[in-house]
Amino acid sequence: MSYYFVSIGGTGAKVMESLTHLCIAGLLPDNERLYIAAIDPDVGNGNLERTSTALNNFAVFQSLAVGNDTPLFKNKISIVRPFPWNPTGHDKTLDDLIEFYHHSRSPIGNLYEVLYTKKERDTTLNEGFRGHPSIGAAVLAKKFEDGSKLTAQIEKVISEGDAVKIFLAGSVFGGTGAAGLPTIARLLRNNLVDYADRILIGGVLILPYFSFTPIDKLDELFARSENFLPNTKAALKYYSEKENLFDATYFVGDTVMTPVGEFSVGSANQRNEAHIVELYAALAAADFYSRPLHAPKIFKYICHHERDKFSWNDFPASAERFVQFARFIFAYVHLIKPVLLDLMSGSAKAYKYPWFVDFFDGVDITAPDVVNFTFYAEAFAAWLKQIETLNGREVFLIDSAMFEANPAKIVDKKLFATLDGSKSNLTLHEIFYRLTEPFKADSSVKGFGKFLRRLYDVCAV
Amino acid sequence: MNRTTRTIIKIFLIAAMTVACAAAAYYLGSNVTGHALATASDNMNYSRWQEKFFALSRATALINGLCALLWFLLARFFFTVDEATGMGKRIIWFALLMASLAISLGVPHFYAPLLGIKLNGIIFVLFAAIFTGLGYWLLTIFTTPLAFKYTPLASQLFRRRI
Repeated sequence: MSYYFVSIGGTGAKVMESLTHLCIAGLLPDNERLYIAAIDPDVGNGNLERTSTALNNFAVFQSLAVGNDTPLFKNKISIVRPFPWNPTGHDKTLDDLIEFYHHSRSPIGNLYEVLYTKKERDTTLNEGFRGHPSIGAAVLAKKFEDGSKLTAQIEKVISEGDAVKIFLAGSVFGGTGAAGLPTIARLLRNNLVDYADRILIGGVLILPYFSFTPIDKLDELFARSENFLPNTKAALKYYSEKENLFDATYFVGDTVMTPVGEFSVGSANQRNEAHIVELYAALAAADFYSRPLHAPKIFKYICHHERDKFSWNDFPASAERFVQFARFIFAYVHLIKPVLLDLMSGSAKAYKYPWFVDFFDGVDITAPDVVNFTFYAEAFAAWLKQIETLNGREVFLIDSAMFEANPAKIVDKKLFATLDGSKSNLTLHEIFYRLTEPFKADSSVKGFGKFLRRLYDVCAV
Repeated sequence: MNRTTRTIIKIFLIAAMTVACAAAAYYLGSNVTGHALATASDNMNYSRWQEKFFALSRATALINGLCALLWFLLARFFFTVDEATGMGKRIIWFALLMASLAISLGVPHFYAPLLGIKLNGIIFVLFAAIFTGLGYWLLTIFTTPLAFKYTPLASQLFRRRI
């Protein structure tokens, strides 16, 4: 069995970011490999860049020898190239992509001119479909076969006798996601029709959860948050009336529209903070992957217990495992990372850190896996901080008063023992002490992986 | 072995080593140079000198043992390791090593005249080697709590594990 995750558009990329963290934390079922593909015409968008960084970091350190009997890093990730796949190319308009010049003055050309306005046809699509799913649907349907290697990649895996679970994530209120979700699902269904008994396709349809005020550029084509609800209504009508292509459909949204920082048409400036809705969408993927292959179709929804508040009661996965992972990351950034930096610069003596003497013999602390894990720990802390300090929502998962991000550090050490709101004896002192206690592991656990495994294990209550 | 058991065993080991150091100092001091020192002392025979020397060895061992115990208690219960900086505490271990040396030399220097016995350089070297070398240095290498286990000098030679 293999898992596929296809992120479509900017919101999909943000779900992918949450899923990457859940995967590394060991919250996906079984030990299957997760293949990640991204479809986004706005290849430079900040959200995608942040996710790519976390993914690429994990790609480097996922082979660390932490052993097979731990949830840590158990699901390996492969990135499906090209990553992301850009269906529009560079500086192309809809006219260019549809090759309108070959069809002008023909009946099909005339129909096309009726369906799309001049502005929709002439706008370059470097920053995505700008909240216009009609543009995206046309482009994706035309370019998916030739441009994306996704079908070929899945076919290769299935032809080796494997079954696959494919999960698509995107918004239904914007441009790329709204266009891509039904289009890509249909294309995959059609292309893989010979393997229908070995594939399961699920999707999370993300409903509006943020808003923004666009800058006053009346002549430009871009998404407007006042269109989110009408777009969503139209999309949901489509899903209720047309054949549902998904074996499992998850709807995730919020009644509070979180205002995002500054409006951006797209590109690197589109760097929105992580949101709990995206975490829930990623948890939907985890739920989907745990479904049996021939399970009946489902539509899933969950509610949180209190209107304006999220707590562990609303967390539909192993809170214990998530908390252990968070503790592991914060112990690393607080107790380990500064020491490694000091040891590298020669300003610290190894004898002070028994765990270093015991575990780092023969480990090059400047090696890519060590460096990339440190980068990843920073990225996780930044992501968690954004989720915890959500504008307009009270999130009571990991205590955000305990830590800061960029750079990640613990600011209130006393809160470490109660970081998930429940009392424990796991202080930083206790973690340090446990790290120095005897540890037996099989011979497959070694190097920096052995140390991370030990650190992860000692973070369990 | 759990942490409480380990703590009890280490305290017991410190006590046992203190007794062993007292016995070693008394036995070696008596046999190596005791006869000569007893003869050189006023109104003293060998058995009376031994009695006084035993009191001296016992007092020195007891005070020196407190140094090893103090280091253990500090490292086990009072030093907090929740920051990357300030760990190790070798300066404190070293200060106690110096205190142990001062005890090994100072107690015989000041207490022997009160007991009315004479000592020579061999006794001082013997006390420094037994009480500071074995009774503090070597003992702390094996009894220092795990979070500071490599703080005593040369500790990595004995306690390192992979």
